[in-house]
Amino acid sequence: MSKCLLCHQPLRPPMTLAQFWCWQPLPVPVVCQRCIQQFDRISATHCPQCGRQQTKMTVCHDCDRWGDQRLQNHAVYTYNEAMKAYMQQYKFQGDYALRQVMMAPLQQALMRETYDVLVPIPVNQETWQARGFNQVTGWLRNQPFQQVLLVTADHKEQPQSAKTRQQRLLTQQPFSLAPNAARVLAGKQILLLDDVYTTGRTLRHAATQIYLGGAKAVTSLTLAR
Amino acid sequence: MCDEQDLFGRQLPLTNGPANSRVRPAIVTIGRRRRCQRCQQWLLPTDCLPNQAWYCRQCLQLGRLTSHHKLYTIPEPNRFAPVAAPILTWLGKLSPMQGTAATGILDLVRQQRHQLLWAVTGAGKTEIVYPALAWALAQHWRVAWVSPRVDVCLELAPRLQQAFCHVPQALLHGKQTRPYHYRQLTLCTTHQLLRFQSAFDWIIVDEVDAFPLATSPLLQTAIATAQKPTGSHLYLTATPGEQLQRQVRQKKLAVTYLPLRYHGVLLPQIEVRLIWRWRERLTKGRLAPRLIRQLQDYRQRGQRFLLFVPHVLDLKPVAQALQRAGVTGGITVHAADGERAAKVQAMRDRTIPFLITTTILERGVTFPDIAVVVLGGDDAVFSTAALVQIAGRVGRHQDFPTGEVTVYCHSQSRRVRLAQRMIAQLNRQGKRLGGRRQ
Ligand SMILES: [Zn+2]
Ligand SMILES: [Zn+2]
Ligand SMILES: [Zn+2]
Repeated sequence: MSKCLLCHQPLRPPMTLAQFWCWQPLPVPVVCQRCIQQFDRISATHCPQCGRQQTKMTVCHDCDRWGDQRLQNHAVYTYNEAMKAYMQQYKFQGDYALRQVMMAPLQQALMRETYDVLVPIPVNQETWQARGFNQVTGWLRNQPFQQVLLVTADHKEQPQSAKTRQQRLLTQQPFSLAPNAARVLAGKQILLLDDVYTTGRTLRHAATQIYLGGAKAVTSLTLAR
Repeated sequence: MCDEQDLFGRQLPLTNGPANSRVRPAIVTIGRRRRCQRCQQWLLPTDCLPNQAWYCRQCLQLGRLTSHHKLYTIPEPNRFAPVAAPILTWLGKLSPMQGTAATGILDLVRQQRHQLLWAVTGAGKTEIVYPALAWALAQHWRVAWVSPRVDVCLELAPRLQQAFCHVPQALLHGKQTRPYHYRQLTLCTTHQLLRFQSAFDWIIVDEVDAFPLATSPLLQTAIATAQKPTGSHLYLTATPGEQLQRQVRQKKLAVTYLPLRYHGVLLPQIEVRLIWRWRERLTKGRLAPRLIRQLQDYRQRGQRFLLFVPHVLDLKPVAQALQRAGVTGGITVHAADGERAAKVQAMRDRTIPFLITTTILERGVTFPDIAVVVLGGDDAVFSTAALVQIAGRVGRHQDFPTGEVTVYCHSQSRRVRLAQRMIAQLNRQGKRLGGRRQ
């Protein structure tokens, strides 16, 4: 019997008689109900810019400070303890198998978005070599995407000791456009995809480049906020 | 770069090591399958990364190993400074029975036999090992004292430090922030053994039956790999599982029994009381009158007690139902409770009269003069071993060698009956050694 990817308890796939008679392909669960319920879905009332869970639909304090550098982000889950633990094991410990946990929720979230081209945020070459995968594209199953962004400067995951330098670097544009970017982006509605919305800086830098590439509109989706 | 000593008897993924180190790939391909060389588990065909590297999911907690890694080791040289005499600085005294068991263990260690010490709860099994450990250290042996549970390691560390105060010791576990040091005596969780290769002449495995060694092939591999080919191990337990008992019958394990507690009084037997549909009653906020009466009586007599419940979710309703029935003053505690240590300490300090808890307190936590009550003892979370351990909380202290163990069940349960049988069996053996009822 297969086991839950997160808690290793045996999985009992729920099968209804209707599914059985309809001869539908069964969705194969990879996590148990208890584990998936630990993740906290963001409801319809959220900040219209960063997508954070709120009680009102007004622009939140953090987004206010960005002024007219607007962004339209949706996030699937809040960044709670369970999400933190998940990201720790998936991204930082490098347990690639855990990508499966978020495949289905992300697929559903992507279906609710309107866009022409999906552009995942890339990881730099060093990280890719060490981690062996891009944590964002890891979640995609068959959804087509275009890797039109390239990393030119290190844009995150810097040690604390490099704080002042980091601050300098962060104001600097970390992305450049791939050679095919203009052809892919011209006149299109683009959806950026990233793992966690923390300060919004990364996504804003990416959006700036995408607009420069000729996109008509840019919105974004993150797994967590 | 790492210090040469850090590699003695270890297996570490490094980019380069000292000239005298040996190197091997971390993941090897055998036929069509791949195997991790650190934990010896097989990889799945899906454990491949987009950069074409294979990685092991089984020992991920120790840092991910991929097929790009190499494991470095230097064969264990046993390069320890001589220990100042006396090696054993423990000032306590073993009872005659403990002394007999200690001699038995020492004899088997000299023969480098694999062995099991089956000692009842409260027999003082840690101290029984001291003479053999002192002998092993005098032989310049490298020794590991390990447990599947980190709390057992943490509780043991200061005791070993005191008992062998001239022996340099290392304590390793997942949350340890201090750097690794090469030491003659290493105290660690069984998981940490995966970082060692042919290092130890002797491995003592404490609470061997505790989760998750019994069911984990990975941890059994860890012991086999960390032990030298000439080395041996000693399992310590109060409740050996079926697997260990079989190895004893097959003579793969030599066994030393200690069926009697150090104070010579027999183990308290479990008394079973049936309360039909207690859980349904609890959803209405009530508990069985028999249980309430018993606990009220304890409160009036000033008898302190532990009330075990099956699940964390049962804690609150049970506490509320007791409150309503006038059994007041106790608090709840469970494994992930942030204030767990403080609450257990409050119970030790006698500032609270009772704890309502889950199975987490079954091992290692002792209070003198305590009674134990289990609600829902037929629930599957209470294994036979857990029930024997829970019953073993009672009567451990010399001045309070007896006490009551009551298990409330919805229906008769095989696990409870087996626990009663194990206690009865140990008591029969204990009686032959002169064990008393009280
Ligand atoms: Zn689970
Ligand atoms: Zn916002
Ligand atoms: Zn492994």
